[in-house]
Amino acid sequence: MVRLSDLHESEAEHLRARADAMPRLECEQWITPKPLSESTVAIVSTCGMHRRDDPPFTPGAVDYRLMPRGVDWSDIVMSHISANFDRSGLADDPNVAMPLDRLEELAAAGEIGGVSQWHYTFMGAHPAPQMFEQSGTEVGRLLADDGVDVALLVPI
Amino acid sequence: MATASISLVREQTERVNPPRALWVPFPLGRPLGDPSDADFQLDVMRAALDMLSSATEPTINDYPVEAPGAGPEAWTCPLNLAVPGDGSLAGQLTAEVGRLKPWAAETRRQRGRTTFGLSGASPDQVDEVAAVLGAIAESGNVTDPPAGDIEWAHDMPLLIRHLAEDLRSYYHEAIAAQPGDTPPNHDALNAWIFGDTVLGEVLVAIGDHLTAAGEANPMATLVRNFVIPEGHYRGIANFEGIQGGYQRAD
Repeated sequence: MVRLSDLHESEAEHLRARADAMPRLECEQWITPKPLSESTVAIVSTCGMHRRDDPPFTPGAVDYRLMPRGVDWSDIVMSHISANFDRSGLADDPNVAMPLDRLEELAAAGEIGGVSQWHYTFMGAHPAPQMFEQSGTEVGRLLADDGVDVALLVPI
Repeated sequence: MATASISLVREQTERVNPPRALWVPFPLGRPLGDPSDADFQLDVMRAALDMLSSATEPTINDYPVEAPGAGPEAWTCPLNLAVPGDGSLAGQLTAEVGRLKPWAAETRRQRGRTTFGLSGASPDQVDEVAAVLGAIAESGNVTDPPAGDIEWAHDMPLLIRHLAEDLRSYYHEAIAAQPGDTPPNHDALNAWIFGDTVLGEVLVAIGDHLTAAGEANPMATLVRNFVIPEGHYRGIANFEGIQGGYQRAD
């Protein structure tokens, strides 16, 4: 479990320092979405996964990759730069980090209204999260243009 | 647009103050908890998405269930990896990779996929990747691209990071197919690689070369930190001195 006290001391210290440096969001407008059963949902992740032919993520990357609905998992790799998280789980089942199949199941059960045609992956591991503002805003615009109502944000 | 997020490091989420966050007590790399347990993953997703209707201001909820199947902390590889090599580190690594081959092949067959290939090598070029890493460990050359016909996907020294990850993923594949109740957890896997395998020995040797090169090229030190997980390189902290950020590799 990721309680910082369970991590290597140096890594825990690093994550605490990162927390102290993160910009704080101030909620200017609270959005109450329509019922989930009527909402189209997309996943935005920092897992660093992408299709095999996509350019890999490089240190300091703030760009994103597209993950299509109905992704072929055999075509997916992960070029996230960090060596400090467990990759064995997602190698066994990518849904543990990018639950696209689970979204389809929720849609089939009527629990969500629909699944976005496109999902997005970034790579985190960046000391200055504010550097993601431009690409993050762009993804938000793309999601809105695609009729997405809810974005599920998933870290790695 | 409304968002719901999953949080792995609660301290960071508290600082950022997102609209709706579900903190989960899972290891880094497993934000939905348990691989191949769809019911568990769905429960986590429902708990996060339910906050869209329940939260009326920035809220962090705590998921109350620990992820099952995180693997034993103490684990021993059932294979005897002691192999006669030609005495060289590169030879021993190639021989060790060969011992794991049937198991890795079985995992790839069961899964129908592999994540091997970040370096630019094709999934069947495991021996070539091992030979290149072994050669780097012995020569100390972390600057020049490896010789051969493979069209590498990265320049040096960043290529080393992906060569290492390719082999690490291959070793994970080999472990996944072996008999036993549960594969080792992340810490046990790293303890095995860096305590009991030639791969670990090779990566530490490369780490030494990257450290030496880092005096003139800070990217080399950064790459070392991406190759060897925290706690496994000679007592040196990966993150020390990296707080201020770094330039993009391209």
